[in-house]
Amino acid sequence: MLRVHRRPPLDTVTDIDTPERIRFACRLAGPGQRAAAYLVDLLVRGAVLTAAFIGATAVELVSGSWSGMGLGLALALLFALEWGYYVACELIMNGQSIGKRAFGLRVVQSDGLPIGLSESVLRNLLRAADFLPTCYVLGVLTMGFDPKFRRLGDWLAGTLVISEGSEPVLPVVTILPAPTEEELLSLPARIPLSVDELEAIEEFLRRRVALPRAREMELAELVAPTFARRLSVRYGDPARFLALLYHRARRSGAA
Amino acid sequence: MTTRDGFVAEREPRWVELERLLGSSASGKNGESIARVAALYREICADLMQVRSLGFGPDLRRRLDALAARSNNFLYRTPRHRFAQALRQVTSEFPRTVREKWVFVAASSLLFWLPFAIGVIGTLSDERFAERVLPAEMLEQMSEAYSKGFGAGRSEGMDAAMTGFYVYNNIGIAFRCFATGILFGAGSLFFLVYNGLVTGTVLGYVAASGHGRNILTFVCGHSSLELTAIVISGAAGLMIGHSLLDTRGLTRLGSLQQAGKPALSLVLGSAGLLVLAALVEGFWSPSGAADPVKWVVAALIALFVFGYLALGGRRAAGVSA
Repeated sequence: MLRVHRRPPLDTVTDIDTPERIRFACRLAGPGQRAAAYLVDLLVRGAVLTAAFIGATAVELVSGSWSGMGLGLALALLFALEWGYYVACELIMNGQSIGKRAFGLRVVQSDGLPIGLSESVLRNLLRAADFLPTCYVLGVLTMGFDPKFRRLGDWLAGTLVISEGSEPVLPVVTILPAPTEEELLSLPARIPLSVDELEAIEEFLRRRVALPRAREMELAELVAPTFARRLSVRYGDPARFLALLYHRARRSGAA
Repeated sequence: MTTRDGFVAEREPRWVELERLLGSSASGKNGESIARVAALYREICADLMQVRSLGFGPDLRRRLDALAARSNNFLYRTPRHRFAQALRQVTSEFPRTVREKWVFVAASSLLFWLPFAIGVIGTLSDERFAERVLPAEMLEQMSEAYSKGFGAGRSEGMDAAMTGFYVYNNIGIAFRCFATGILFGAGSLFFLVYNGLVTGTVLGYVAASGHGRNILTFVCGHSSLELTAIVISGAAGLMIGHSLLDTRGLTRLGSLQQAGKPALSLVLGSAGLLVLAALVEGFWSPSGAADPVKWVVAALIALFVFGYLALGGRRAAGVSA
């Protein structure tokens, strides 16, 4: 039976359309990166609280009598750190906290614009729900089921966490050993592959050096027969076949 | 025809310049740099189109995507929020929202006060009721704490410590009561019923052990602030839970996000009430003032709370918006 897939392909990027009708792709931050940023923030908050506690104790010791004023302030600070830390950071640092900045993450609205006060307050209040039953289990589960890695707080506030690191431009893929005359003669002059298909092959060729031989063959064999049928040719080694297709398409095609 | 290498060689200096401008700190942001980023942003968008249509490779596309996203976020801002303006917004929007969403406030009140009444009546009519709700040691402590009354007052430091505790504990309860409402209202429902029952049981137990006058005199000042605020937070939680069930033709996510704004003003308003409650509970309720004075002040505070919720944020006749 034929099944039509209407959903966009599962990926860690999301398309953002701006009012000027420009569309660009944003890389989404996954649970791993966000957990790492959370741990950094947890350490920062812990350090602030410890410093305040030591300071308060010192004041109480010097003044000689335990008054309780220091304890009151410490509890107020604990409250502020638990509920206000992220809101303050995200407003001052435009959607980042100290941990998020360390890992190049940023909270944005779902249309890519910077967040305001209400988005920040809502998504951070909802931490109390995402935390349940303990250690953000519910939040991580929600992220796992959501195609944009949003936790409950992001749902309510309409926000996304994106990863902003700059991407290096890689050198052109070279094929080793260089294709022989004989190999190239077996292929048609123009290769009928779409831009997406060529990109998929390029990603594969960049990754194959890091793959074990068996896995490399397994991956190449997933698409090689389809392309071979389309071109009406035969091939021996599927990975080599994909490399040759890529080589011929890049040399003869638009690029 | 443009080759990939030729394209990169020609365009890359601009990308590097844009990266440098985006990386500069907020203090380096001036009219000149913003105008330059805006110009470069437009060029990058054109480059991105070209890379996409000519199939110059995923690495190049990703680099330009990232640059475009960062420029967009650099150039566009949400309106600046001024603190005074935000405060005015909250103080007038809060009572309006309470009146507009009265159904949820009524439901939340019922979920809190019904278990509260059961707690009070249960403990007064059956000696063993309280021990089924709370551990016996905790009840003993409560009874002990209210046995002496507050005729002597206590130290300022102790007042400050307790105020800190009330801020941390009570506002935390209110926030959790709201946030867990996203589980289709279940969390808010649980916190409302649980807090209602425990509060009622403690009150009933202390009254049954003969210190009713002490505890009522202690709680009368802040209870109208504190319990109203908890009920309103619960109402905000029930509201977001309800928006997930009854979407009124919207997508579930759209319906949830639409409920976010009124819910936020309810929660922030109730947090404000709870800060006031913590100050009253920490500094005034345990003070040495005579009981009748405390009763009068309690009545005035209750009058302020309910008057504010009933009348606050109303516009003068004939003035629109």
